[in-house]
Amino acid sequence: MHFALSEEQTELDATVRALLERRGDSESVRRAAQSAPGYDTALWSTLCEQIGAAALAVPEEYGGAGFSLFETHVVLERLGYALTPSPLLGSGVLGAQALLRSGNADACARLLPGIAAGTTLAALAWASADGRWHLDRSDVRATDAGAGEARLTGSAHLVLDGTTADVLLVVAVRDAGTVELYEVDSAAEGVHREPMTGLDITLRFARIDLDSAPGRLLCEGAAGLLGELYDVAAVAVTALQVGAAQRGLDMTVAYAKERVQFGRPIGSFQALKHRMADMLVHVETSRTLSWAAAWSAAQGSANLRERAATAKAWCSDALNAVAAETVQLHGGIAITWEHDAHLLFKRAHATSQLFGQPHEQRRRLLGHLRLAAR
Amino acid sequence: MNLDLDDRARAFRDEARAWLHEHVPRTPLPNMDTAEGFEAHREWEATLAADRWSVVSWPADYLGRDASLLEWVLFEEEYYRAGAPARVAQNGISLLAPILFEYGTDEQKERYLRPMADGTEIWAQAWSEPEAGSDLAALRSTAVRDDTCGGWILNGQKTWSSRAAFAHRGFGLFRSDPSAERHRGLTYFLFPLDADGVTVRPIHKLDGHPGFAEILFEDVFVPDSDVLGAPGDGWRVAMSTAGNERGLSLRSPGRFCAAADQLLDLWRERGDGSPALGERVADAWIAAQAYRLYTFGTVTRLAEGGSVGADGSVNKIFWSELDVRLHETALDLLGPEAELRDAGAAAGGAWMDGYLFSLSGPIYAGTNEIQRNIVAERLLGLPRGNR
Repeated sequence: MHFALSEEQTELDATVRALLERRGDSESVRRAAQSAPGYDTALWSTLCEQIGAAALAVPEEYGGAGFSLFETHVVLERLGYALTPSPLLGSGVLGAQALLRSGNADACARLLPGIAAGTTLAALAWASADGRWHLDRSDVRATDAGAGEARLTGSAHLVLDGTTADVLLVVAVRDAGTVELYEVDSAAEGVHREPMTGLDITLRFARIDLDSAPGRLLCEGAAGLLGELYDVAAVAVTALQVGAAQRGLDMTVAYAKERVQFGRPIGSFQALKHRMADMLVHVETSRTLSWAAAWSAAQGSANLRERAATAKAWCSDALNAVAAETVQLHGGIAITWEHDAHLLFKRAHATSQLFGQPHEQRRRLLGHLRLAAR
Repeated sequence: MNLDLDDRARAFRDEARAWLHEHVPRTPLPNMDTAEGFEAHREWEATLAADRWSVVSWPADYLGRDASLLEWVLFEEEYYRAGAPARVAQNGISLLAPILFEYGTDEQKERYLRPMADGTEIWAQAWSEPEAGSDLAALRSTAVRDDTCGGWILNGQKTWSSRAAFAHRGFGLFRSDPSAERHRGLTYFLFPLDADGVTVRPIHKLDGHPGFAEILFEDVFVPDSDVLGAPGDGWRVAMSTAGNERGLSLRSPGRFCAAADQLLDLWRERGDGSPALGERVADAWIAAQAYRLYTFGTVTRLAEGGSVGADGSVNKIFWSELDVRLHETALDLLGPEAELRDAGAAAGGAWMDGYLFSLSGPIYAGTNEIQRNIVAERLLGLPRGNR
């Protein structure tokens, strides 16, 4: 039992932090978010080449670094702190994990080395028009075309980094009614990609419309895989949330120490102190649940479902609370475009919706616990 | 990061589980804040001690097992999961003993630790006074040096002293140097509650039982051998207990995890499919898990030579408010039945008893308002201001 970062993980965290302090300030974040690809391609290259950000959880046989999702989690938390737009969640976690969990050695060998290097970007096309990631259905239908090939028709919504991805991993319903995972080249005929503009400018979403687009079946029967993928995705989102929550607390405390009213720093007023103390409790408990869930994801533990639901529900609520307090405790400056508080606030809202809202995750947890024999 | 238990820890946990399974009384003991219940709980302490389960983290010389902090946490989880009785010796074991080990003389350790471990002597804490609650350093009870007798004369009044109605001995702070700055000039004393000049006036808690008491001191003589730590050093000595009380010792996560699991059972039986109640059950269950895992973080830090420090305040805010929420949810699940007190009441009225007890959580061991000040000032570095 060692509930803390190892020396190596601490070093990884410090390295990413130092890099983002140099190249991930507010101005760069805004510039990157408003650029065509939606992220700073040079910074992404550095993250991948020098730190191996996208390679950490990819096995060495597929060109990865052979660490685990926990190390990826450490990097995501730092990216979450800086609010840095990056393909790490969409490609490095969702894409890579979908491939790995498909067990398709050929596809892994073809695609993972590029994804691990950050030079190939993958996107997971899954959510339905209702904005949910269903484990048993999809708005895309696949018709077998023989020899593992298929034709896909329909739409996937809220596809993270869908417009920039080179390869799409599409959840589709096969002729027989089973849910399957397909590989689709994003440049193929019949693939149309439409950006979906979100409130949070640091995350990019797309709608993918498929019109008899060619796809390749990755494995037989994706139902189990999707359940795990949903959990892994939810856990990865909590890393961004914990980082953002820590950022909100740090920003607020710094401001409260410096802003003077009635002749003293506002941080000396007990009414405000207590609110910041509560923010810290949110941050600490969030990180605790998020790390525990990341450990389960990294280990493939039997309690992943429970830990993922636990973490996603708690961290979403906590970040929403912290972000709201960040705005309120900063006062008027926080409702300006110039100040970063709104980036944090919007990140809180967006991540809360991704892969299970808090109430959905609590319901999921209850369903799981109801069945679990104790 | 590694959340797996090693073989040694697992073996320890399994041994504790097996022992508890065999020994925990099948029917609940009477309330420990009654004369009858107090004795029954003391007997239970003796049963625990006979097989060295009463103070697992203490050295073997003092009836302990030299258990690591992690093992202690695991023991507590098993203890509460097994539905074992409340610990009547708790205040001595978790508040006084750590100080005795750190500051006590060999003679004090010899004299007090074993009888504390087997329930022979139950200790009560005497800190708060009528005019010194959150502002503990405002305490006014005095200790005056008596050189001829080789000791001190105590005078004054202590209050909210848990278990004091039936306990044998007390420990507390007295002002030994009225001229010193208020945090200095305090001395930590140990004293028998049946000493000449001591009057104990039980206070009935909202459950109707004398769960605490006032203690009045009128020229009570305490020999030098019952001063804990150096005279005048009482604040520093006492604050090392405060860290323990808030941080870990008093409220191990096992208690909340067990209660959260019971809440889940209650919801399974009586949830009636209400999504609103389901949400609250899940939220309380998650919070209990958060507290459990956060404790593993603290255990790791301590094992690596760190200290609990102000993190104990984060803990204290969290568990005490969770406890209230958890019980409120249970009462809402039970509905009107929760209010019934007769023998046939649901779960024997245990949820209501737990609820009434939970109300004191945000108050004792430093109110949550004080804890939030500590978090803000010591962890966040916010400037001190007027309260």
